Amino acid sequence: MALLELISVTASYGAVDALNAVSLRVEEGEIVTLLGANGAGKTTTLRTISGLMKPRSGSIRFLGKEIAGASANSIVRLGLSHVPEGRRIFPGLTVRENILLGSSNRSRVPKAELDRDLDAAFGIFPDILKFADAPGWTLSGGQQQMVAVARGLMARPKLLMLDEPSLGLAPIIVQQVFRTIAAIRERGTTVLLVEQNAHMALSIADRGYVLETGRLIVEGPPATLLNNEEVRAAYLGGRVTAG
Amino acid sequence: MSITLQLLFTGLGIGSIYALVALGFVLIYRATNVVNFAQGDFSMIGAFLMVVFAVDMGLPYWLSAVIAIAAMAGFGILFNYGVYYPLRHRTFLPVVISTIGASILLQNGVLAAYGPHPQSLPAMLPFPGIAVGGVFLDSQYLLILAVTGAMVVLQYLFFERTMLGKKLQATSQDKEMASLLGIPVALMIGITFAYSAVLGGLAGILVAPLLFVSINMGSTIALKAFAASIIGGFGDVTGAIVGGLALGVVETFGAAYISVPYKDGFAFLVLFLFLMVRPQGVFGEKVAEKA
Repeated sequence: MALLELISVTASYGAVDALNAVSLRVEEGEIVTLLGANGAGKTTTLRTISGLMKPRSGSIRFLGKEIAGASANSIVRLGLSHVPEGRRIFPGLTVRENILLGSSNRSRVPKAELDRDLDAAFGIFPDILKFADAPGWTLSGGQQQMVAVARGLMARPKLLMLDEPSLGLAPIIVQQVFRTIAAIRERGTTVLLVEQNAHMALSIADRGYVLETGRLIVEGPPATLLNNEEVRAAYLGGRVTAG
Repeated sequence: MSITLQLLFTGLGIGSIYALVALGFVLIYRATNVVNFAQGDFSMIGAFLMVVFAVDMGLPYWLSAVIAIAAMAGFGILFNYGVYYPLRHRTFLPVVISTIGASILLQNGVLAAYGPHPQSLPAMLPFPGIAVGGVFLDSQYLLILAVTGAMVVLQYLFFERTMLGKKLQATSQDKEMASLLGIPVALMIGITFAYSAVLGGLAGILVAPLLFVSINMGSTIALKAFAASIIGGFGDVTGAIVGGLALGVVETFGAAYISVPYKDGFAFLVLFLFLMVRPQGVFGEKVAEKA
């Protein structure tokens, strides 16, 4: 049984179709990446899975349970954590408070366990430890991204969905973020990664899907996608010209 | 000197009432992005509940106050589900109109029950006050200052030291993100309404012995409190408290040294000045519309 399975999911903004019969699956322990140009429907796919948007039709199963149309806060309680685009750090709360609130989906967690999880989060992102008591808005983009991922991990998710974690970050920070994503999977968390930076995403992914105007056009392991002419042309920066 | 201190004492007392109501405005605004135009009527309802329990039913004052405050919390939750919740996905205007409608309904509901004659409540403490130097500290004003001070401290501890307080702050800063973390946003907003109704009700209960208890007592208080929250910086908790206290003091000094009939005008004169010179208020920051 796949951890997450979408079967022919359709979603729209008013009269405009955003997703057209999207079917995909994520197996336990995988890093799966969802690629595509701006407006292809990557973010909409994640928003529909996490309950921020209701699909118009189709089925979404997480751990075998139908979650299509359920509320966002009930879905995260099942262990599906969504770190949205733009990081969305609570600006008026400190870094520590932001990360702690990531555990809101777990009920009655003993304080000692929360402290352990918090230490583990700072262990993954030692760079933000010194900002633990600084308000969220004072951090740089890269630091905020680390807080956002740490907050997502506090939910102890079975599946972590990351939307454009590299957006707006300096190249050296991007590498660091991707190394961390690979490390998160090593610890046993499945990852569904939405990215525009296709090369980076495919360098750590087990499989990828490519979305184009709301439809999935290609699916396969990184090598397949990297060699696919259509994909290269559209998302990976040009065709390989013979000779 | 003593007259100045006397006026300052009175001004801070009445300013505390504005501050409590202004806090209610600000907390609901932060949680829902909507101004609750029935906020003043929360005070009116609180005062009338005191009339019901303490005067009509003859219960002891402290017990009446406890029941009235508990009832206000329940009232806030009902208000949320009746006035805000069904319209939560709409723009701000339908919600604002809904709160104005609620205000009219509440005032006329109480009018139907109690008639147009103002009710009165005796002072709450068994002594008239204490004299310190040349200043007479009226017992009701002392009570107002003490209760307001205690509420400000409790509120600070609640928002800054508890996980529930943090969740309420998170909800007011980014509702969608809060729901993604598993914070029950609708419940958080319900709690905010309950607490704001308690603050408003408390203001009404405390001020009732100083004024007559009438159906439109809330309107005047709410207008001043609204002005206070703009002066302090709309949406800012500290601003609401400071703005309320400042407005009470300005108004009291204005009445003493300039003109009693124009007492209510001073508050709005200060508001005009702020809107022209510093529209973001004392503690507010200039913010562009969020992208």
